[in-house]
Amino acid sequence: MKSRSASYPWLAVLLLAAAVSAGAALAGGSSAYTKRFKTTLLAEPSPLAQPAGELPYGRKVTVNEVRGNWLRISDGPAAGWVFAGNLSETKPAENKGLDGVPLAASDTTATAAARPLTPVAVEYAARNNLVNARDDLDWLRAQNAAVTAEVLQEFLQTQKKGEFQ
Amino acid sequence: MKPRLCFILSAALLVPPVVQAQLDFGKLTKALDTGSKLAKTAKGVVGIGLPEEKIIGESVALEVIGQFGGLVRDEDITRRVNLVGLALARYCDRPELEWRFGVLNSSTVNAFSAPGGYVFITRGLYDLAGTDDLLAGILGHEISHITGRHALKIIENGELLGGAKALIAERSGQFRDAEARVNQVDAQLQQFGPSIKATIKTIIVDGYNAPTEYAADKGGHDLARITGYAPGGLRAVLQDLQAKKGDPKKIFSTHPPLKERIKRLPDEPAAVPASPAS
Repeated sequence: MKSRSASYPWLAVLLLAAAVSAGAALAGGSSAYTKRFKTTLLAEPSPLAQPAGELPYGRKVTVNEVRGNWLRISDGPAAGWVFAGNLSETKPAENKGLDGVPLAASDTTATAAARPLTPVAVEYAARNNLVNARDDLDWLRAQNAAVTAEVLQEFLQTQKKGEFQ
Repeated sequence: MKPRLCFILSAALLVPPVVQAQLDFGKLTKALDTGSKLAKTAKGVVGIGLPEEKIIGESVALEVIGQFGGLVRDEDITRRVNLVGLALARYCDRPELEWRFGVLNSSTVNAFSAPGGYVFITRGLYDLAGTDDLLAGILGHEISHITGRHALKIIENGELLGGAKALIAERSGQFRDAEARVNQVDAQLQQFGPSIKATIKTIIVDGYNAPTEYAADKGGHDLARITGYAPGGLRAVLQDLQAKKGDPKKIFSTHPPLKERIKRLPDEPAAVPASPAS
């Protein structure tokens, strides 16, 4: 029987390429992209450092220096430290609405956690005998909304995750 | 099979329930008019945007919950899953999605993701994730399916959402009264029905193809590492399941064989031995 690797020789190549790419993104001189609507640049490689600037969504930046999981990046005159998890190795797809205009942060961030289900999903539940599932989903959304940005920030700090490692 | 023929057959198989729904609402004329308009725009397939992803994701999430015994309504468990999940999602490649994490009331061992940021883990799998490192390994894999838009790519490749954006955009300025809103929902249900069904079939019945699953394994591994969880979490879970030798139909039935997944994970030791969740 042929092994899976023999069946998918291109997969090995892709995985190898991805591994090389991941390593390259952390090297000085390479490029990365911002992936939040606002990415704060810090004066030092620490989550408690003073802000040194701010970059918008999808900006291509140059990695100038690497210290562990922290990267010193620049975009023209803007420069500062960013936690590596706040950057993407690939250019993020633009979040555009139906009219082709990029969606505002308020339309997509977790701050909209309490937003109700779309009318289509509500109707889908009604027509497919999923009323109980809808109740469950509403309950989950309420539970999820209780984990606010502040709660998550505190969790990351106490658990020493993300920027707080 | 040629993609076009495949699309037509899929549409023929999947549309009837939705058309029935249209009849129930007495909107047949409107539905036919909409169908005609959709057919005209079917060739104009475009990438699925956030509004469409949200509609598909919510509907798929409802189906997953409905087919796996509902949600475990335990606030402590749900809070734990959401804290770990949201910590991971914060550093994924789509941090601005509305991420939500739930536990399904099923003894099977599996996890699912729906477009738009919905991640579900069965109670059977949750009970094996004794530590947050292991839980992060599982959730990271599912997050990677969403950030990789794996389900949406299947829809896009199958042309199941042809013309939807054009249709919605055209009608978006017509919500003048309640009747217009009903018509809008009807039209969208008709349009999104095949996409929802196709996604459900992929997620619950067929699973993704093996390369997609291995990519999600690696993505989840990388995400766990950068977030600060032990990168061997997923390996620990898979090895534990492999050692238990349970019923294959109940353990990650929609995923590739455990042996192959373990073999292809980045070469790092398992995080910690799996143990029952407290």
